[in-house]
Order: sequence, then C-alpha cells, then structure tokens
Amino acid sequence: MSVERALAGGLVLAAYLMLAQGAAAAPHEDRILPVEQYTSDKARTLATTHAGALRELNAGIYHCMPWVEVQKHSIGFFRPKHVTGGDDRHLSLRIYIEQDPSPEFARLRVEDRASAMFSRYVGPLLRRMTKDPAVAADPAVDGFNLILEWMKQAQRASGDRPVHETIAIFIEKADARDYLAGAVPITEMAAKTRVLGFDGETALGPIRLAVWDDNFVKTYKVANYVLDPGVSC
Amino acid sequence: MWSDRLRILVVVGVLLAMAGCATSEEWATWKAHPAHFASKDHMSFSIRNSEGSTARVSRQDIAMARDESWWGKPITVSQDQILER
Repeated sequence: MSVERALAGGLVLAAYLMLAQGAAAAPHEDRILPVEQYTSDKARTLATTHAGALRELNAGIYHCMPWVEVQKHSIGFFRPKHVTGGDDRHLSLRIYIEQDPSPEFARLRVEDRASAMFSRYVGPLLRRMTKDPAVAADPAVDGFNLILEWMKQAQRASGDRPVHETIAIFIEKADARDYLAGAVPITEMAAKTRVLGFDGETALGPIRLAVWDDNFVKTYKVANYVLDPGVSC
Repeated sequence: MWSDRLRILVVVGVLLAMAGCATSEEWATWKAHPAHFASKDHMSFSIRNSEGSTARVSRQDIAMARDESWWGKPITVSQDQILER
C-alpha cells in the first residue's frame, strides 16, 4: 500500500469519526412533538411561535443534565387530560431520571420518593422551561406540566420488565410566576400544584408531597463528563 | 501537483495521529485485530482515552452506555393517560 493511499485512508477514517461524533452530539429533534401532530390551532400556533425555545429546552437538558433522558414526543404544549372544557395548553416536559440503586431511597414511602424527586427537579426544570421569557409571557400558555419518572427498585425475576414510578405535576401559570420571581418558596408553590402518581401503569391518584429546596441539580456532576465543544451550561 | 497533495496528506495524517493520541503500537494492534472495537463509538472513545490519561466522558458516551445497558421496555404510564395532543 502506498503512503498516499494509507494517509488517504486515515483521512477518510477521521472524517467518518468527526461526522459520527458531530451527529451524535446533538439531541434528537424527535423529543419535541411535531407541529402537525397537535389537535388544535392554539397548540399548533404555540408550537410554531416557541419552536426555538422548545429546541433550546431539549438541547439544554441533553447537554447539561446528561443523567436524564428525554424520550420521543416528550416536549410540547399539551392539554392536561383532567382539565375539562376549553383548550388549556401547558408547556410540558417528561423526563426519565437515571440514578444508581439506593436502599435508602427504596425504603421510602412512595409519597416521600415523589417528594424527593419534586424537590430535586421541579425548580431547576421550571427555570429551564421559562428561560425564554416569551413563553411565560404568552397569554396562550395556561400553565406548566412536568412528568418525572424513575426506575422502581424492587426484586424482579429474570426476564421481568422494569417498572417505572411516575409523578405528573401541573402548575398554574400564576403560581409558577410567583415562584420564579422569588415571591414564594417552592414549598408554597408545591402546596398549590396538582400531583398525580403512577406505579407502572397503575394510577395512584392525587398525592400530597412534603417538598424542600434542593440544590442537587446545581451541584451534581457526572464523573469526568466533558461538555461538547461550543456548549455551555 | 502530486507533491502538493502528498504534503497536505502528510500534514493531515500527522495532525490526526497527534489528535488521536494513539501510539503506533496501538494502531498496529488495531490493524491486526480489526474487530477489537465493538463499535465505532467504542473505537473513538478508546482512542480518545488512552492509558494513563484522565477519562473524558462525552454526551455521546453516555448515550452509548445507556443503549448498551438497556434491558427491556419498562412498564410505565403512557403519555395519553395524562395529556392530550
């Protein structure tokens, strides 16, 4: 093999690696619900108007909270199912939280596990969701919805599917604004929010939480994690 | 003409070797065992994190590890139990 051919091969390999890394370095756009899949004009308008904010939310979580997974169609302006009448649209975000197994966490009551997750994630995520002030300022946005899920820790037989615990949190816009402006603590906002619990596919109904101000998201770092070039958190 | 091309290829080749931090011995090992790396991602991770250096974990590495440790579709509430589009 000639030197030229070997070097040309190296060049091709380098280009392939760079392209492969570049492609994988960006979050998947399919995490955001496509505009054409909404069922109302109001939702389609919101999704179009705030498309940039949704993309930024997706990218911010992808790069800055790498232990969290956002799955397909998990970001958008959805209508809470429990709200009857009208077309209330909430900016919604669903995440799966990956964490190491912890006997202490597993021993907690489901309400306490839910309280811990709310305390850790709701404040920082709400700030991310409203990073673009135009979102909260839009009169067509009626509130915010976060769906947090995590692996339920339990003994499972080989071949059994993992079970997720989930909480769905619905925050009225005025309550979110008060919290984000620092006018009320997270405890007060939590007391006004509706929280639904789920054990796997089984609805547990509304649950009451005892939350606190938690700085986990601000302080937790994945070991040796290096941000992609050009990204800041 | 050819010498210019050759010069460019040599410069790029040297830069590549430096960027990859892989020794000639490592390249020889890889060439001798083309299936050594499980995937292109594993290959680029291995090249970047040579022995003795502090490991650098990229977002892509995390996604890859998550995919490889995936162990079944979980039982969880569906989106349409909670929200409408």
